[in-house]
Formats: sequence, structure tokens, C-alpha cells
Amino acid sequence: MQNNALIFGQNEYTLEIEKNIASNYNDIHVFKLNGDDEFSFDLSDDWDHLKEVVNIDECIAFCILEDMAENIFLTLSLRDTFKDLIIVALAADKESADKLTLAGASRVIPTTLTTANVIVEMLEKPIVTEVLHGILYEKSDLKISQIEVGDNDCFEGKYPSDIQWSREHGIIVISIVHEDMSTEFVYSSKAQHHVIKKGDIFVVVGYEKDIKEFEKLIGSECG
Amino acid sequence: MLKSLIVNIAYWINTSRRYAKVKSFFYNLLENSNYKYKKYFDICMITLIFISVVILVREVKSHVDDYLLYFNNYIISIIFLIEYLLRLWVSSSISKVIIEDSEYDAMIGEQFRISKSLKKIVTTKLRYMLSFKAIIDLLAIIPFFHQLRLLRIFILFRVFKLFRYAKSIQTFTSVIAAKKFEFLTLLIFASIIVFVSSVLIYVMEANRADSPIDTLYEAVYWSIVTISTVGYGDITPSTEAGRMVAMAVIVAGIAVFSFTTSLIVTAFTEKLDEIKDTKLIDDVAKMKEFYLICGYESVSKEVAKKLTIKNKVIILEESKEKAELAKKDGFFVLNYDPGSIDSYKKLRIDIGTQVKAILCLGLSDVENVYTSLTVRSFNKDVYILSILKNKTNKNKLISAGVNEVFYEKELVGIIAKEFSGQPVAFEAIHSLRSNFNGIDMQELVVSERILGNFTNVGQLQNNKYKIVLLGVYNKIEKKFLFNPTDSTELELGDYLLIIGNIQYIQEFTNFLNKKGSK
Repeated sequence: MQNNALIFGQNEYTLEIEKNIASNYNDIHVFKLNGDDEFSFDLSDDWDHLKEVVNIDECIAFCILEDMAENIFLTLSLRDTFKDLIIVALAADKESADKLTLAGASRVIPTTLTTANVIVEMLEKPIVTEVLHGILYEKSDLKISQIEVGDNDCFEGKYPSDIQWSREHGIIVISIVHEDMSTEFVYSSKAQHHVIKKGDIFVVVGYEKDIKEFEKLIGSECG
Repeated sequence: MLKSLIVNIAYWINTSRRYAKVKSFFYNLLENSNYKYKKYFDICMITLIFISVVILVREVKSHVDDYLLYFNNYIISIIFLIEYLLRLWVSSSISKVIIEDSEYDAMIGEQFRISKSLKKIVTTKLRYMLSFKAIIDLLAIIPFFHQLRLLRIFILFRVFKLFRYAKSIQTFTSVIAAKKFEFLTLLIFASIIVFVSSVLIYVMEANRADSPIDTLYEAVYWSIVTISTVGYGDITPSTEAGRMVAMAVIVAGIAVFSFTTSLIVTAFTEKLDEIKDTKLIDDVAKMKEFYLICGYESVSKEVAKKLTIKNKVIILEESKEKAELAKKDGFFVLNYDPGSIDSYKKLRIDIGTQVKAILCLGLSDVENVYTSLTVRSFNKDVYILSILKNKTNKNKLISAGVNEVFYEKELVGIIAKEFSGQPVAFEAIHSLRSNFNGIDMQELVVSERILGNFTNVGQLQNNKYKIVLLGVYNKIEKKFLFNPTDSTELELGDYLLIIGNIQYIQEFTNFLNKKGSK
């Protein structure tokens, strides 16, 4: 479990990321490139100082240097030293995104591509964008959640299509994530032929109250 | 009394909407190359010209039916006459001259002098009638008097009318006209060579019995044939001196020929950008609905790439280098400053009817504020979306009239949150948004047709089409009804937010629109 977030790089992205992830982590440490205090770093492979400041096993790292070459180098350096660290890295373009993945980033946020995608969506599907943003960015009462099937026999032997999710539980199941972490749309033929079992994750949309009830239902014993 | 009657008629004509409408229609049809029906008119006229020429050629050695001759001599001539008169009519406004003169005379306290106005009118109309194109038009009507056999050849003047209708010929003449001085110099040079060589060859050869040159006319003919590098060989000099002259004329001919070629090539090269620009502007004027992207940066490139899949996109970029880059990337780009009103005027873009949305995606907020203010200064309604580079400038963009401000850094912050909070859920939505695995989320407007078939959510049968109905959005009340019950009534203009396989969505849409689906 990651309790701490480490942000490498101090720029406008830092402020926004810090503000948004504040509620998810106990501590957020921002490290400045070539600074002179204890929360600074350089592009050498010496991370001993970092190990002294935080417990790296409990951390998630955000590499957000604006110079892509430096950001790739930083990611590579972190991955080389910390094999299990979750690294989220910013990429300016597709080329940098590919390089960051090769360098060992766990997740890459391609800024230009994402910005372009959202702008196009705003123009082409304004309603979808408005509703999705409401759900994703908590601007409405609707929430999106991932719920793991627990130890219960409520759905044992059942297929996703057997259950009237929206009518019975007030939530809408969008997709199912299998044990191998492959995501399937709820109506895809693969998902339709998949027997629900422990460890499956449902991605659901609904009101908080309904989601909690559903979580209780599938995460524990059947009500 | 007469003067006052004329002025009254002039005012009546000038204020008559019907008259203005009719005149404007004919003006557009005859002179405005951007008028959508002009090309059909031009095609008709070109067809008439070719019919005329074909009849003329056929008539030389074969019998041509009387009705064809009648058509050629009367019908086509009358059509051309009507066209000539219409062109003369729309070339200037008589009523305007009378009104302007009468108002001017009234202002300086003098009596309105009709003769002065008449002189002005006649001068203006004569100026038009004596223009090259108008003379050609007039000569094309002459075959009407077909009894004068000599005048039949005037049918060929109809071919010259092609100048009016074929734009490429107009472009060619304008290119040649740009090098008027050079061509004149060349003509004078060639004329001097022809004159001198003709006289020389005449003096040297005319008195010789074995020489084919007997007259000055033959000498001039020989000179022109030689200087043009054609050299038929029907007339050749027979004396040593005459051959010397011939050699000099041949060398001069090569010089004239190569100079002419290089002149035409240079003229076209110089005008090439202008010609291309004119073509682009014409293409833009013809476009119906498009997105206008102001500024070509990395985001613009991605946005344009995605928008061009289903829409037309035009990029306005001031920097020549960036415009070239956009062109290489395969986009429709215009090298104009998006922050200048003049650009929109030159490009003849009608923002109100042609532009779906304006995207200010320039490199700096200053640039985007400026562009937005420029557009707002002449159009209040068009949707403007701008990218925000520095958060402190958000209010400035809104004050400049931007409808939607997009701050990229904020988006990254939110994405980072989702990544760290609910990565699986975020991934699921992300793959939906990027149309991954053929699954898409779409908005479907409830049209009158759909409402005629279905009145409530329960009747939609979306499950049958493996479609998830996320909810119904009411655009007027801006309310989203999540997971609606079967009894929820649909309203005209509602949006159904659906998730599913693209093909199933298409089938579902067809099902909703099919009459009697219910």
C-alpha cells in the first residue's frame, strides 16, 4: 500500500498534482532538480539520500520534469534502483511516452495526446464529456468505482448477463476486470461467457449509497 | 419637371429592394466567381460557343440543317445579346450617379444639371463598352447579321469569349500581363530585327532572277518565319549576303524564343504562390462547415488529426515555417495571422455560417486572448475554445469572449488522482473514451422520429442490442438522469448516453429510427 507520494520536479504540474492527490496520501514530498535542501535530487544514480528521507516501499513516484530527456533519464534511474516502485511519468508526446515505458514507468500520462483527446471530445461529444467529467472528476453525485468480488457465493456460477444490475442494485456495471487484469466490456462476448468468481473486479457507476451497498453485497456475504 | 421626374425615378430604383435583388442576382451570375450558380451559367455559355464553332466548321464543306443555322444565327446570338446588355446594365449604376449629382448640386445650392449626369453615365458605360472583353462580347453577336457572309467569320470571336468563362485562361492572361513591360521590350526587339532583316534581304535579293523574294511582303514573311524558328523553307536566300542576313536572323530568333520562354516561366513562378493562395481562398469559400484552429503547435496537430476523421479542419498559422510543417503533416493550412481581422476578410470566411467552432491553440495566452478578441469583435456567437497556459490568465481569456477554457495542467492533476485512487476504474473509462476494443460511448439525440416510435425508456430494448444505457440527459434543464427506470418518459431533444460496441450502436440507432420499430 502506498502511503506517500514523491513528486520529482517543481513546476505548474506539481501544484495541480499535489492539490489533487492530497486526499489519497499521508505525505507528499516534492523534490526539486539540482536544489540545495534535503528535498532535492540530481540525475546521478545516487538515491541513498532519498532512502533516508522516506520509506520507498510505501511510495508512489511522479516524474514530471518538463525536459523529456531529463524525465526519461530520471525514470530510468529510479527504476534501476527501485524495482517495485510505482512510477507515474509525464510525457509530452507519443515518442516520449514510448521511451518512458521502455525506461520502466508503470504508467505514462501523455499530456499532448490527452489534452487533444479531451478537446476533441468536448467538441464532438459535449454531453458525454460533461457527464463523464462529472463522474470522473467528482463534480456530480455520481461516482465510478472498482469493486472486487469477495468470498461469497452470491454470484457463484452466474454470468454477468444473468444479473439485472441496474434494476436490482441501482448501479451500472461497465466492465469486468479478470484475474489476469484484462478489462472486458460487460456486454462483450468474452465477459458474457465468463463465470463470475472471486477476484474479479467490477467497474461500476452509481450513486455513492448504492455503490457502498453493492460493495457490501459482493465483497462479503450475500444479503 | 422632367429633372424632378428623373430624380424621383432614380430614388425609386435605388431604394427598391426588388430591383436591387434582381440586379444583384444578375451581377453574381455574370461577374461574381464565388457565386455558386455561376459555374452552371459559364458551362452553358461555353457549350453554346462550341456549338457555334462546330456549326461554322461543318458549314464549310457540308450541308447544315436550316434549324441548326437558325439556332446558330438567331438563338445563340440573341442569348449573347441579352448577356451583353445584362453585363452593360450591371457594370455601373445609373440611378446612383443621378442621385449623387442631384444631392451634390442641392448641397452647393445649384440647380441639378441633367447633362452633367448624362455625360458621366455615358462615359462610364462607354468605358465598359470599350473594354477588351466587352468588345469581344459585341463581336460575338455580329453573326446575327448572317446575310453578310463576311460577318460569319465573327463566330470565331465567340471563342474569345472563353476568356470570360474559363478561369485558367484568366489566370494565364493575368500572369502574362504582370510581365507587360518585358514582353513589350521583346516585341520591340523582334520587330526591329524583322524590319531590318526584311529590308536587307529585299535590297539584296529582290533584283536577282534566281531569288524567290520579289516583294517587300515576301521579305517580311521570310523574316518572320525565320525569326520564329519555324523556317518553312519555301523562301530561301540565294545570295551570300542574303544567307549572312539569314544567319543573323536565326541567331536573333533563338534569343527571342528563349527569352520568351524564360519570361513566361518566370512570370508563372513569381505568381505561383498568389495563384495557389487564390485557389485556397476559393476552396475555403466553398466549404460548408469546418473547425478553425488558430495556431499550429503540438496540441493543434493532435486535435486536427482527430477532428479530420469526421470533419473539415482549417488551420490558421502566422508563421511560414509552422504553416509549411502543417502542410507537410497533411492539413489544410492557411498562412494568415489568426489575430488579424484582415485575414478573415481576405479569406472571405463567414464565421457565422461556415465555422463550427474556433480553437485557440496558440503557444501563449497572449496570442490566444488576442485571437479571441479579434473574432469576438465581428462575431458574438461562434463557439470559442482556448487552451490556457498560465492559470493566472484564465479570467483574461474569459473576458476576451472564450466560451470554454481548457487548462492542461489541471487535467494532468485530475488524471494523477484517478491513477493513484482508482486505477482500474480510470483505465476502464479511459479505454471507453479512446474507443478501445471497438467499445464506444455515444450521445444519441431523441429526434421526432425516435419519439414517434418510442415514448419511454422501457421500450428502447437496449439490452437486446448489448447496449448499456447510462442515462438520459436533458439539454434544456442541463440535468442528467442516471440509470432511468423503464417508465421514464422520453422528451424531444433528450440525449441518450449509451455504451456499446460501435456496430451494435449503429444497429441500435437504425432500430430506433426505423418506423414501426416498437
